[in-house]
Amino acid sequence: MEDRLRRYEKIEFLGEGQFATVYKARDTQTENIVAVKKIKVGSRAEAKDGINRTALREIKLLQELHHPNIIGLLDVFGHMSNVSLVFDFMDFDMEVVIKDTNIVLTPANIKSYVLQTLQGLEYLHNNWVLHRDLKPNNLLVNSDGVLKIGDFGLAKFFGSPNRVYTHQVVTRWYRAPELLYGARMYGTSVDMWAVGCILAELLLRVPFLPGETDLDQLTRIFQVMGTPTEETWPGLTSLQDYIQFKPMPSQPLRNIFSAAGDDLLDLITSLLMVNPLARCTCEQALKMPYFSNKPAPTPGPQLPVPTSLNGRKQDERPSLKRKLLDAVDGGSLAKKLIF
Amino acid sequence: MMSRGSMKDVIDVMQLRQTKGREFPPVKYEDRVNHFSGARFIFECGLKLNAQPLTIATAAVLFHRFFREADMNSYDTYLFGATALYLAGKSKDDGLKLRDVMNVSHSTLNRNSPPLELNNDYWNLRDSIVQAELLLMRMLRFEVTPDHPHKYMFHYLKSLQGWFESDQWRRIPLAKAAFAFLQDFHLDAAVLDYSPQHIALACIGLALQCYGVTVPLTDECDGPFWYSVFADDLNKDKMWEIMEKIMGVYDKESEVPTA
Repeated sequence: MEDRLRRYEKIEFLGEGQFATVYKARDTQTENIVAVKKIKVGSRAEAKDGINRTALREIKLLQELHHPNIIGLLDVFGHMSNVSLVFDFMDFDMEVVIKDTNIVLTPANIKSYVLQTLQGLEYLHNNWVLHRDLKPNNLLVNSDGVLKIGDFGLAKFFGSPNRVYTHQVVTRWYRAPELLYGARMYGTSVDMWAVGCILAELLLRVPFLPGETDLDQLTRIFQVMGTPTEETWPGLTSLQDYIQFKPMPSQPLRNIFSAAGDDLLDLITSLLMVNPLARCTCEQALKMPYFSNKPAPTPGPQLPVPTSLNGRKQDERPSLKRKLLDAVDGGSLAKKLIF
Repeated sequence: MMSRGSMKDVIDVMQLRQTKGREFPPVKYEDRVNHFSGARFIFECGLKLNAQPLTIATAAVLFHRFFREADMNSYDTYLFGATALYLAGKSKDDGLKLRDVMNVSHSTLNRNSPPLELNNDYWNLRDSIVQAELLLMRMLRFEVTPDHPHKYMFHYLKSLQGWFESDQWRRIPLAKAAFAFLQDFHLDAAVLDYSPQHIALACIGLALQCYGVTVPLTDECDGPFWYSVFADDLNKDKMWEIMEKIMGVYDKESEVPTA
């Protein structure tokens, strides 16, 4: 174990949370730059429960998953009373890109980000894993323009026919209507909805449906997509937390996404189908004309880099730190899982 | 489905002892310490904790793998048994609470003793399990999700079902017996020595033998056998070897010291 400590040479401290410390480090064996997330098992004072569940989930799932668009867990090691996870080092995340007003996102750039996200997600779903927490700051990007899905703290194997899941997953703004209605048995459609919201956010450069409460979230969804009925979504009224909304018509997406072409609007429409069974899968999405039409997706190295990173201003890179720390903190509401 | 964890914060150990205790001959674990008794301990505690069968199987595999590497004289067998169960619960999302695991393992080792008080001993034991968990994970190189034979067996049985009349399939508890053999085989560290597919087939083979039922290609001299279609690398000798190991579990069970 001493070898491992020496193998990763600390470059800089990225941040500290209640359960983890994150460092940027150099892997002296490969000369690669990596992110080392050191999970504290906890001191006696805080009634420790041993290895953090979130960390164990990440270890368990990521050990088996290998794809260019999925964050790589390169190594796990223990030292003294803590466990360290070694990840690919990622320079920034999509939230930074979206918020950076100096970046112009061309249609080709957006196509590249969505394509990479869907390819990573298709791999996850084919391997029976739900991510359950997709949002811009969980889509990590490195300086080569490779996008990787990160933070598997809420991810889970799916497919057992009788398994019941908590609906308290996914940050509210990206949460699918079936989750807001309290569905306990759901599938890949929850991740697809989140991709739809992220795609919309890439176009608008602000969150598409920033609900302030769960109820407000549903209202915002129905204001745009129209209120569902038992006809458009069979089984709707028997969902656990179903409440009736006043009927609202759907808005033409063309008015909201004025810069988007028809092929892109078709994709958004399929991703944001209110009825989860009508929503498209990754495979279906990737086969839509949008991805074969022009313009071609921007090659990775030509994708924009946030100004904060260009200038190498250390104090302007809080987002990645926050993201990595969030993952172990259980900080936001969505992280609390009820079993 | 039971709502696990939400209501029962602490399992009522005394009540468990009265109701569930009778199903087992009370084993005196401290009288003999070996791989088998450790796994037997995991099974007993797991059942008392209402753990899922796969959680118990995971715990047993973690336990056996640990003691393949570590010397039983250097580490407390039952501490690591309880730890394996706790870690398996986390790994399988089968929310076993640390305090429940501690209380149940304490009362299983010290039958008729009062429950653990919330004193220094309690916190020391809690500390020990947390430390043992870390050591366990490190020794197992953080590979804590074994590939179980259960899912293979399920599909094999599904395929075999077609050879039976529906009435016959209902009458003869083949699947039940095969699953019981499989679960019990986890008491023996030999469960680590064979591929999950082979173990699943041996359990089914043994169940077929027990009930004297045959499927096509049962009595061939040199194959192919009924199981060749599921695993072409399983020969007759290997099949019999695993079946004998499974039967051996029940001999070992009778050697465990009881009160």
